[in-house]
Amino acid sequence: MDGYTISVLSNIGLFAFLAISAWILLIAGEISFGQQAYFAIGAYSGGIATAVWQWPFAAGVVIAVALGAAVGALVAWPTMRLSGLHYAIATLAFAELTRASLNVFTYRRDIEGFATGPDGANGFGDIRWVYEAGIEPGAYLAIIAGCLGAVIGLVALMSYGRGMARLRIVGEDPILAAMQGLSVTRTKIAAASLAGGIAALGGALYAHLATYIEPAQFSVMTGVHALAYGLIGGLGTVLGPILGVLIDIGLLESLRVFAGYRMIVFGGLVVLVLIVRPRGLLDEPTMRRVQAWLRR
Amino acid sequence: MIDFVQNTLDGLAIGSAYGLLALGFTLIFGVMRRLNMAFGPSILVGIFAGAWLHSHWSAGMIPVFLATLAGAVIASAYVERLSFAAIRGDAALASMASSFALWMQLEEAVARVFPQRTYAFPTFEGLPMLELGPLFLRPEYLVMFLTAAALVAGLQVILTRTLFGLHLRTLSDNREAARVSGVNVAQVALLTFLLAAAIGGVAGFLIAATDGQISTKLGMWATMKGLIAMVIGGLGSMRGALIGGLALGVVEAQAQWYLGASGREITTFALLFVALILLPVGLAGGAETGARAEAGRRL
Repeated sequence: MDGYTISVLSNIGLFAFLAISAWILLIAGEISFGQQAYFAIGAYSGGIATAVWQWPFAAGVVIAVALGAAVGALVAWPTMRLSGLHYAIATLAFAELTRASLNVFTYRRDIEGFATGPDGANGFGDIRWVYEAGIEPGAYLAIIAGCLGAVIGLVALMSYGRGMARLRIVGEDPILAAMQGLSVTRTKIAAASLAGGIAALGGALYAHLATYIEPAQFSVMTGVHALAYGLIGGLGTVLGPILGVLIDIGLLESLRVFAGYRMIVFGGLVVLVLIVRPRGLLDEPTMRRVQAWLRR
Repeated sequence: MIDFVQNTLDGLAIGSAYGLLALGFTLIFGVMRRLNMAFGPSILVGIFAGAWLHSHWSAGMIPVFLATLAGAVIASAYVERLSFAAIRGDAALASMASSFALWMQLEEAVARVFPQRTYAFPTFEGLPMLELGPLFLRPEYLVMFLTAAALVAGLQVILTRTLFGLHLRTLSDNREAARVSGVNVAQVALLTFLLAAAIGGVAGFLIAATDGQISTKLGMWATMKGLIAMVIGGLGSMRGALIGGLALGVVEAQAQWYLGASGREITTFALLFVALILLPVGLAGGAETGARAEAGRRL
């Protein structure tokens, strides 16, 4: 693979984490405009761990995921009482609050003669662990793919057990779920925590690939894109959000024919798809048909 | 103390424009029960149509105003046809995603036609600064406030005194009841959509004429401010939208003065977050409206 293909594939992988994160909340019946906040939390905490504290990469990723999941649960605890549009705006407010706070967040230490660490709106550079360890872009792509595979595996495991069914029933009909004896609030908090952890994992991986991050990258635009990927790709399977990312970044960005008109083409395509398939390409009926076909 | 009063005055003026944006959102949400993410970008199309007329034909304020309104209404009609009328009634999420896609499309289309970072927009020139004792009021702000007030009064008349207004309120209150009582749901929905676009167009024109320059960022800005003002005001009520807009304007103006730009962002969003948790019914409070109940569901 040449360098360009590797970088496009890496980008697809990284955005897939964010898209899956928003998708999980959609399945749980909530619209989040704010998953980019956890992506940012993961990127900053992972970066601080390896670049400022000089921890190993794996430890940085673990702390990022743990922090993302913890903050996800903490934010979900008061906001899960809200629902629908109110929840969506609350997540938007939290994400913008995070971005605005990162704009003034400065934490710099002297590392080998250079001041390293987040410097408010100027961003956070020199997250160089991966490069100093001599990991090639191709190998890093394998790490991203491995982590993404683990996330897909986790969701598959949840579908195999009861987790996914529980999430879907809470999302589709909370009253019915409560009558079945499920704790709606607890399920939703768990979903938000899982979604936060997945987005933070993507963020930590992103920070180490980009080596430079800044608060402006984690704007509402990023979050709304992540939400749209799941809705386009389909709500029936975890592969839906990944398909959405593939269509947007993979197909259109790599096809240079549309250079400069990418959003016009993509927008038109999405509108047409949604008229025919309101729940995305890989929607629930399609997935049921695929499963029935596989079982034959 | 003088500063505080002065900021409140400025905030109320800007807030009246936010209120208009929120009013547009509320009208659309009321009849559609879905979120129109492309509301701001439709206004953006209007503003740039006005700016184009201004720079190519050195048009005066009135033609620019009409071009802004026409641009916003035409772009909104495009959004309504593709993202709302064409999508099944029970697929609110699809409409949201679809209108977001059109947001991207409209914004990029505008950016292709107008590649510079900013463009000039005509301002209200020659109006004197108003002095009220120790307080000052920019004439643009007075125009903004008065126009918003006149528009709200006009809207009130349309809603309460015309057959269309009655249909709109029926539809807002209960879609099924409206259908069985013979309201042409599709037509009223389209007209409401266009009415909201016109109100948004006026707000966009006022904001652009106050700033004197415009950029493609205005689309996202308008969507966000309108959405936030609508939600803090309390969904589904006109009064709520206005109160929400004014409150947002005043809070922003105070925070900007006392805490600076980054402080303003942090304060505004922190307050929004806390307000949503403590007061989910919104500032206007009051009875549970159909739209608010619907918002409690998954849109």
